[in-house]
Amino acid sequence: MNRRKFLRSAGLTGVAVTTLPTIIDSFAVKALAGGDPRLNQLLESQDRILVLIQLPGGNDGLNTVIPYTDPLYYASRPTIGIPKNRALRLNDSLGWHPAMSGMRDLFEGGELAVVQGVSYPNSDRSHFRGTDIWLTATDADVFGSTGWVGRYMQTLAPNYPTELPAHPLAVQIGTSTSLGLLGTTGPMGISFRDPDEFYRLVNGGGGNEEVPSSAQGDTPAGREVAFMRNIARSADVYASVVKKANDDAGASTVTYPASDIGAKLRVVSQLVAGGLKSRIFLISWAGNNFDTHANQTSTADPTIGAHASLLGELSTAVSAFMQDMKNRGFSEKVSGMTFSEFGRRVAENGSVGTDHGTAAPLFVFGSNVNGGIYGKDPNLTELDDRGDLLMENDYRDVYASVLLQWFGVSSTKAQDVLLRDFSSKALPLFKSPVSVQDESSSSVGFISVGPNPAVDHVVVRVRIESTASASIAVSDMRGKELRTSSVDSWTGVGTIDLSGLTSGTYVLTLKADRAITHTFVNITR
Amino acid sequence: MIDLATRTTPLTLEDAVHLLRRTTFHPSWTLASSLVGKTPSEAVTSIIENIEPPPTPPQWANTPPEFNDFAAAARLWPELQQWWMERAITLPSLRERLVMLWQNTFSTDYITVYAGQWMLKQSETIRSQAFDFKSLATSMVSDPAMLRYLSGDQSIKGNPNENFAREWFELFTLGVGNYTERDVVEAARAFTGWRISGNQGVYNRGLADLGEKTILGQTGPWEWGDVVRITFEQDACARWVARKLLMTFVEFAPSVDDIQAVALLVQQNNYELKPVLRSLLTSQHFFEPARRGALIKSPAELVIGLASVLQTTNVDRSYAIASMTKLTQEPYYPPTVEGWKGHHAWITSSTFPQRQRYAESFIDGRQTGSSSKLLDVSGSPLTPDVVALIKSMPNNDDATKVVENVAKLLLPVPTTQEQRDVLLEIMLAGAQVYEWDIDAPSAAQRVKFLLQAIVRMPEFQLM
Repeated sequence: MNRRKFLRSAGLTGVAVTTLPTIIDSFAVKALAGGDPRLNQLLESQDRILVLIQLPGGNDGLNTVIPYTDPLYYASRPTIGIPKNRALRLNDSLGWHPAMSGMRDLFEGGELAVVQGVSYPNSDRSHFRGTDIWLTATDADVFGSTGWVGRYMQTLAPNYPTELPAHPLAVQIGTSTSLGLLGTTGPMGISFRDPDEFYRLVNGGGGNEEVPSSAQGDTPAGREVAFMRNIARSADVYASVVKKANDDAGASTVTYPASDIGAKLRVVSQLVAGGLKSRIFLISWAGNNFDTHANQTSTADPTIGAHASLLGELSTAVSAFMQDMKNRGFSEKVSGMTFSEFGRRVAENGSVGTDHGTAAPLFVFGSNVNGGIYGKDPNLTELDDRGDLLMENDYRDVYASVLLQWFGVSSTKAQDVLLRDFSSKALPLFKSPVSVQDESSSSVGFISVGPNPAVDHVVVRVRIESTASASIAVSDMRGKELRTSSVDSWTGVGTIDLSGLTSGTYVLTLKADRAITHTFVNITR
Repeated sequence: MIDLATRTTPLTLEDAVHLLRRTTFHPSWTLASSLVGKTPSEAVTSIIENIEPPPTPPQWANTPPEFNDFAAAARLWPELQQWWMERAITLPSLRERLVMLWQNTFSTDYITVYAGQWMLKQSETIRSQAFDFKSLATSMVSDPAMLRYLSGDQSIKGNPNENFAREWFELFTLGVGNYTERDVVEAARAFTGWRISGNQGVYNRGLADLGEKTILGQTGPWEWGDVVRITFEQDACARWVARKLLMTFVEFAPSVDDIQAVALLVQQNNYELKPVLRSLLTSQHFFEPARRGALIKSPAELVIGLASVLQTTNVDRSYAIASMTKLTQEPYYPPTVEGWKGHHAWITSSTFPQRQRYAESFIDGRQTGSSSKLLDVSGSPLTPDVVALIKSMPNNDDATKVVENVAKLLLPVPTTQEQRDVLLEIMLAGAQVYEWDIDAPSAAQRVKFLLQAIVRMPEFQLM
């Protein structure tokens, strides 16, 4: 027996690589598609991706989305307040920081949602607690050890890392692993800065010669060895998958800004365009850059300085990324979301900066995002005892929107992931995809489905032969038919009662004579 | 409950390497052999009392910072890093290990602080007060690097900046849950009045808020020194220090009971750490098998430790620093004021293979993943003399014993027979075990095969 063979047989058992179903959240739904190519195509379009952008250090919300008609804003911020005539108009009462024209344009195009006043009860002003709370999706007094993304990933691949999906579930562009990606068995995703460098690191060594694991068992050292072997295995399996996606993608269609965050978003675009099926990408600045206690702005001109640079980096990078995704035909599949551990104090401090605060706006963007403003303008009159803003939206309401509407997770699973039921508070941030069928190829199809997300009923307009008898069935994501409703064949309009169904994603199936087509509806209440 | 009873049985080789791995960056064969047969108490004495030449500061230490000349300021940053590396890689002492711990507690970074002079000054304060936590924490209040890093130099009466006060309680002395938001506000007032003059923190009482404040339940016209006093009266402060020590030297997630037991020692010794560490490092608890390999090496421990094991501590300092940086621990540049989180945070799908490539290339006298030669401090090529290393071990004419000894040196947990069989097979590379000859021309390559196979094992990342 040669040495290599001996080592192989003595070494690690082979890695089981399973196929992640292309439909989110349900292994069974593939069966639902059966031989139906249209539903298959629709399910494929559900292969959705979320890019999480962390603004570490606590972003100053009031200088990001500026309440520029509120005299209290200027009274609290005599040095660093952004003058009204320098802010970019958002609406009559709010303005964008002047460095954010890129995100302003997305907002104007209806592709960016501003969620106001996001925080949680008993907001923690510690960077590290605050960050942990956001990443673990726990209450302020709970010290969680798994991340909300990690828990969601575990619902997709319960046997990870024993069985690895063919593509990484989550990718962090960077060298660290976020607490957000941790599941109960360790990281549910992989981290790297550059796909080529990652490939070289994994494959550049002494080959596959492996010394077998020592049987340390359930000792501290044994647990650490298992922890590292799992990470090493996922790196081994995914390095070439990632490299292939990066190679297949070809060149970017836009020029990304030279910032670190721009470079990271460029990598995300490459991987998405190259066919990597990861659900979640996470990127962040390298340090606590948004922690602007001092010299947040220039003293001479409050529209320039450290914070302006950071917002400019964010805005130009997001803008370039979204354009690239559009050009590459992926904008329907990709959404992004920003977050930061807290906002900052309403009143400036004596160092041309701001101390740690509480609620702040966050942004959700993408072609399938219902653009607009969610929540009231910041109320600078009613502050807490520290002079900080009161909460308008719980951050987990946003997470619930992501899970229920963007990823089509059932409300039961969303509750498992978020540790509480936030489905009734989910904001209608995302559009549901309408039928993907080609208009010219068939005389039967959905024209509109609304409201979507729906609460207790949905009105459907369909295109059918006026003589046909048509019905619409509502099925859950396992394909179980729950109820049917008729469609008026003259007007092509039907109203479907959804009361009694739990929040989540459902399939609507239109049957008219022998033609069948499908779409989705989300229920949120 | 933690067994702080002193272990009296003499050290085996494995015990000695365990002690050196945890307390110095230098778990070398030479040092370990010199401790074998000593009692833990004797061994720890030699590590704690290790006579160190007082370092001569670099010439620029007391020059004024060059805030308006980027090139002049930035030139000092690598020199600062090399200054630290020189100490850490040449002195096998507990003090250097503590310097890393406290530097990672009272975190600052050279980009924010900008003045290399201030970074160096903080580092030297930490080094000289490494065994006296109360003095050290007190010094950090007026430390210019800290004043700049956490905006303390911009905090004045009527307009306090909370940055330092918050981290003082949260990260430096008490930990979350042991103070309130109110305490942060009030302490921020008490910490006002500091400015930086030249390379010194200067207290200007005229800029300080002398009004009445209530901090941790005590009311009075408190100034900064009062905050320090009141903080150190808290039991939580001793627990915070105890937890730091246990996480660094014993295990990453110590139990509440263990923390309490060590906190008692900390209080009894008024935050003087030599007696505390002496108790901890000579205890049964510290030497128990369950503690072996329970921690993950930091990049510093990996990079400096491997150089020490391979008797190549003359490696080019900037290469050692660049390697740590690649492994996400650039000296004097932690990601946040929390410092590096350590342990699991060191290992990701990128850094684990990076660690493997670093170590196997180093053994081969190459820079990570390249064919470029490793260099020594004088710029000459450096190839670890692995044959000399083996020859310094007993029974080096027996291939089986070579594998056993190298495994004991490089791995913190016992190897299985199966692992040693595979390692032997790798080292012999087709030869028969009776053909082993350390003086054969092929021996160097065979020893390299062995070392490289070991440094690829996850167990090698443990300590």
